[in-house]
Amino acid sequence: MKELIEYIVKNLVDKPEEVEVKELSGESSTSIGISVAEDEAGKVIGKEGRIVNALRTIAKAAGAKEMKRVSLEIITKEER
Amino acid sequence: MDKVTFKAGNLEEAIEGAAQILGVSKDEIEHKVVSEGKAGVLGIIGGKDIEIEAWKKISPEARGQEIMQEILNYMGLLAVAEAKTGEDREVIVDIKGEDLGQIIGKDGATIDALQVLISAALSRAYGGRIRTYVDAGGYREKQKQAIERLALSAAKDVAASGQEKVLPPMSAGERRIVHMALKDDPKITTHSEGMGRDRRLVISPR
Repeated sequence: MKELIEYIVKNLVDKPEEVEVKELSGESSTSIGISVAEDEAGKVIGKEGRIVNALRTIAKAAGAKEMKRVSLEIITKEER
Repeated sequence: MDKVTFKAGNLEEAIEGAAQILGVSKDEIEHKVVSEGKAGVLGIIGGKDIEIEAWKKISPEARGQEIMQEILNYMGLLAVAEAKTGEDREVIVDIKGEDLGQIIGKDGATIDALQVLISAALSRAYGGRIRTYVDAGGYREKQKQAIERLALSAAKDVAASGQEKVLPPMSAGERRIVHMALKDDPKITTHSEGMGRDRRLVISPR
């Protein structure tokens, strides 16, 4: 899951080396946190959240096999 | 994308060297400078080589196929992506294989998400919007035909009754299909109303 999301996100930004994806996996759920270069958050969020919502949909589809709930958030610098 | 790094005395030499390693002419590669060189005394002593990273130029179509295939592999699905360029210079990625239901998702949610992401990735990589369609096992084509049927029958009703008709909420791509299907009908006109997910197409008598 982490590798999948990381691969996609790296294709959405100009500074792929600053992409960091963390995965926290519990018994029934998985949380994914994505951080990118400060000035590139907009690229992974998108207009009206279009991009981040698409990422959530893909993460859910990938998590469906393991029957897990998946949450995905973009972590901005202040929250890190 | 396969990348090579190459060091040389100046940028031109570095590009030529990298192109040689990649086995193509220097016009067929792209590069990024990793570290700037420094001219030494007399241009030789104590100078530092310039270092570049270089890769073969690749078409949006080939890149779209590559990204889609990687995603399928990461998702552990037995499916193959194939891309071509459409009449309108749009990139069309088609997925063939098993487990297509998982790729399409409920009401096409997953395939729509893949389309959004690949379109964004290609638009970023090539600078400027690149319209991208992702299809799996003819799903979009079937959906397109269903929408066209709906549009034509609604247009017929409007023309017969003289009353305008509001279609159910649709995505931008779906509304485009309706506009295209009805653009040559002299008896009616189409326009969209509402915002975001609630945006609907209205068919009115002309």
